[in-house]
Order: sequence, then structure tokens, then C-alpha cells
Amino acid sequence: MNHQCHWTEVENIFLPREATIVRSVQATPTETHFTLKMTDGQPIEYEPGQIVELSLFGYGEIPIGIASSPTRKNTFDLVVRSVGRVSGAVTALEKGQSVYVRGPLGRGFDLTKLRGQDVLIVAGGIGLCPTRSLIQYILDRRDEFKRFVLFYGAREPGLQLFTDDLTMWRTARDVEYCETVDKGDPSWSGNVGVITTLFPQVELTPETRAVICGPPIFYRFVIRELDMIGIPRENVFADLERRMKCGVGKCGHCQINDKYVCVDGPVFSFADVQGLEEAF
Amino acid sequence: MTASFIRSDDFAAFVTAIIEAGPVYGPVAKRSRFAFARLETPEELRLDYDVSILPPKKLFFPPAQDLLQFDEAGFRAPLEPTEKVLLGVHFYDVKAIDQTDLLFSERNYDINYMAHRETTTIVAANIQTVSSRAFFASVGADVQPKGHDAFLTAIAGGYVLETLTERGGALLKFGAFQPATDAQLKEAAAVNAAVLEQCPEKLEHGTEAIAAKVRAAFKNEAMWTAMAADCFSCGTCNTVCPTCYCFDVHDTWNVDQTSGQRTRYWDGCLTEDFAKCSLGEGACENFREERATRFRHRMMRKATYLNEKLGGPACVGCGRCSAGCTADIADPVRIINQIMAS
Repeated sequence: MNHQCHWTEVENIFLPREATIVRSVQATPTETHFTLKMTDGQPIEYEPGQIVELSLFGYGEIPIGIASSPTRKNTFDLVVRSVGRVSGAVTALEKGQSVYVRGPLGRGFDLTKLRGQDVLIVAGGIGLCPTRSLIQYILDRRDEFKRFVLFYGAREPGLQLFTDDLTMWRTARDVEYCETVDKGDPSWSGNVGVITTLFPQVELTPETRAVICGPPIFYRFVIRELDMIGIPRENVFADLERRMKCGVGKCGHCQINDKYVCVDGPVFSFADVQGLEEAF
Repeated sequence: MTASFIRSDDFAAFVTAIIEAGPVYGPVAKRSRFAFARLETPEELRLDYDVSILPPKKLFFPPAQDLLQFDEAGFRAPLEPTEKVLLGVHFYDVKAIDQTDLLFSERNYDINYMAHRETTTIVAANIQTVSSRAFFASVGADVQPKGHDAFLTAIAGGYVLETLTERGGALLKFGAFQPATDAQLKEAAAVNAAVLEQCPEKLEHGTEAIAAKVRAAFKNEAMWTAMAADCFSCGTCNTVCPTCYCFDVHDTWNVDQTSGQRTRYWDGCLTEDFAKCSLGEGACENFREERATRFRHRMMRKATYLNEKLGGPACVGCGRCSAGCTADIADPVRIINQIMAS
């Protein structure tokens, strides 16, 4: 065999580390917002946009994008939507209890391509969770970026995530925040319509760098808007979701054509994935 | 590299000696077919096998493998590889092992595969019987097997054993080997060359032409739909494939309900839920919902996607998928030749 390593000298990539839940908030009827701290006191070092495999022994592992910025040390946030065996068990946990994490995994946002630029983030639904890592990062290091525009669309007002953040962003001066819901209710006085209805509200230049994350159908419509502004596709960064099971580029479940989302992504330049028939 | 010869009469004693020294796995009869299994006696060894039901990768990448075990005290990796000999691997399966060696060690080194692999001495063997669907001579023909430690070829009166590594050389002390003569080496080379002429199936084009045309056929949905019309989505083509390495991971509890294990199981991209994600409230997104898209994905993986990384196609021509497919629609030769002719 010709290879460099020997198995006794290599870390086991499938062994997780314990993290303690320091805060747990029911964000929506199905989503819980956790703040976690590594139990051994050694924080995980990550970049905005990276993921972790979150697990509970006896239930399994799920991939979750980190929802907080590494600029906020010691703890990190994950939002878990209760949809199955693992997420159902995790969302039933409370402050003080333990979960297990492997990571960080994958490639996050390439900050070198965003620094010094106008940045637009377009987040649809739960897509706000992984992009929040970048939103916080930009707000914490605001001088490193130029104009910052954020679009967020939710299905209905009651499904909005991070409502404390939203309240802040609505009046903040360091982010031009626009939001919409697909379907309003009597309490809602804001914009109603799909995410693309926000584009006419803000003047954007072709030099803007765009970061987009949302449900599968969202990309097809958002890219059209970005094309119309004239933003080149290599300056559009898509944070994609697939069934990332192992998180280390082996198990095959997250493949888009020949790419493994868990190691080649989850953040891709749109130019790199637009030729992949299975991407959008 | 050294080349040695052992007489047929002395071969059983050699096998007995390595069995006594440690676990030896080789092809044994399983009803009318063959499987790699731990040898108890030299008589069980069937070097005249055509193809094993499952590929020998199962030694390093078992169909079910615990990644970790947990209980109230914590968790740990149960990995305890043992030194072993894998005897009688055909060259196409060595080529497949070369691929999984690379795929499990690149980027993120997977100790669960590599530990078992690195503790294995592989003795390849010449193909004495060609299976009914083999096409190993015409697929990735310029890729040579390289992961074996020794190569055994049956010739008149005995076997030539070429040892390629230290591990391979260490086997010589277990048998009555003598240096092989030039004539014996020549005969072994002729035996191995002759078998390449005996494949019942044949790809009509070279690797690069196939890769380009199969990739270009991606959007020919009518063709893929027709090809996959009889697919049961059973995943047999994946399960028997020596180069498939996808897996799923599940946690299970033991009966005490406090301890258990996290286990990986072979998985296959032809199965319906392979790329399916739950969205909540009963909704799902299946990124390869149609049979045709899964069928196509397998062929793309075998013929194009991994070629650059592997230096050749992710198919070695064993014919297991062709023979294993209930509907007999998985044969890469038929699929590729049809695409090339289109």
C-alpha cells in the first residue's frame, strides 16, 4: 500500500465531543435554538458557514449548520428543526443536558472574497440559521465590509427565527434589513410575498457579493434576480443542503453529481455548481 | 520483488502453515458459488473460483461495522484490527481495493477502514475460471493493480509466487519455496495474459471516450428512463460492487436500553431513500426521486465522476452487478456500449 499515514497515528474522525446545552429556546413550533458549550472547555474553532454533525447516542447523527459567528467565543448556536428520530430527541433536551458534536466540517464562506465588498445575504426559511454565522460575523467586524444588505423571508410571521435579532436588525444602522412573509396574519404589517419581492426595495450594484441560502426551489428564483442586477455568478455563494450523513466525504449521501456537499461545500460559488445538473 | 516457485504437493503445507500463524481469508465454495471466508483447512481454499459473491472489501469495510459503542460511562471506538492474510484475490478485485484504499484515506483518513486494511497481507491469484459476465480485460485496461503484497499464479506442477512487498516476502518462510526459473516466470506471465482473452463481455471503447460520452448523456432523460424501467431499486448492483463504498450510519440500543452502538452499514445509491431528506411536518425532499436518476447516478460514478481522482473508471469488470441484477439491467457493458452507439 502506498500512503503516508498509519492508522495508529491518526485521529478517529467518527468520534464526537461532548457539548453542554447552556441555553435552549423554542424558536418556532418545530425549531429549537440551542446555545452549546464544549464540555471540556476547549471551544471548537470554525468559520462562518461550516457545519457540525450533532448526535445523541442511541438516536444518531444529523448535520447542522452553525448558527453563530466564531467572533462570539466559547459558545456556539445550533437551530434544530424537529423532523425525525435524532432531531426529535435533541429538541426534547433541556439546559444542562449533553449532546455530542463532530466538527467543524466542510467549507464555510470564503471571507477573503467578501471582505472589503458590498455584501447581500438572502436567506429563506431555515436558511437564516447557517447564514446567521456570517451575519453576526459581519456585524461584529463591520469595518471589514462595505455595504451590508440582508433579505429574510419566512413562510408566515409565527415561523420567523431569531426574533430578538430581527427586532435589532429592523432598526440597526449597520445592516439594511428587509423581510417578508409568504402569508401574513393580522399582526403583520410588513411585506407579504415571496423573497424575490424584496429585490425592488433596495438598489444593488453588480459589484455586490451575494450569499444565498434557502429551500431547494428558492435558488432558481433568487439567481434570476441576481442575474438581473448583473452580479457575476462567481460572486454568488450558495449554502446548500443535502443529506450529509458522515460529514467527511465518504458515505455518499450528499453528492451533487461528483461533489460531496459535506466536504466540497456546503458553501459553493454559484459558478462552480451551476453546471451540475443535480444542484438546483 | 522476488519470484519463487512451490510445487503443488507442497502447497497445502504452505497454506496450513499460514493458517497456523494467523487468520487467513480466501475463496471457499458456498453451495454452487464462492465467498471469501476464513480458512480452517487448506482443502477449503478454492483458487479455481470464478468470482466471489461479495467482493473481498468486506474484510476492511464490513457490511456492518461499529464506529463507536456507548454506555453510561461514555463511548469508545471498538476498533481492534488483527494481522491477517487475504489469499486468492483476482487482479480486478485488487484494482477495486486500490480504489477504496485511496477513497478512504484521502481528505479525511478513515481509520475504520484503514486499520483493517493496513493489517492485511494481500496475496493476489491468477483467474483460473472466468465468470459468465466478466469484462475485466476491457475496462480501465491501462490501470494496473498495485495494492497486493504478492501474486500467486498456478502453472504446471505448482505455483509461482511473486512477492512485491516486505509483507509478501514474509510469507516465503512458511512454505517450501525455491527461486522460480525464467521458464516458470514466462509460463506464469502467459497464464495471466491468456485469461484476458477469455472475457465473455467487452467494452467497445476506451476509458476517456466512454467517460466523455456517458457524461454528455446526462440529460438524455428518455434513455435513462428506458434503461431504468425495470429497476426494483433494490441496490444489489451496489451491494455486490467492489468499488461501491457508500454507507449509512445508525444508532441502536442494546436490550439494557442504556448501552448501544453507532454502526455503519453498506448503503446503495440505487435505493429509493438514499438522497431523501426530511423537511418536517411529513414533507420530504428526495434529491434523486426517480429510479432513472439513481440509475444514472451509478453509471456516472462508475464511468466518469471519479476517473480523474482514480486514474481510471470506478469499475473493474468483475461482472457481479450484471449477474446479480434481478431484472438484468445493471450490466455496465450493455449500458455503456448502448450509450456509445447512440
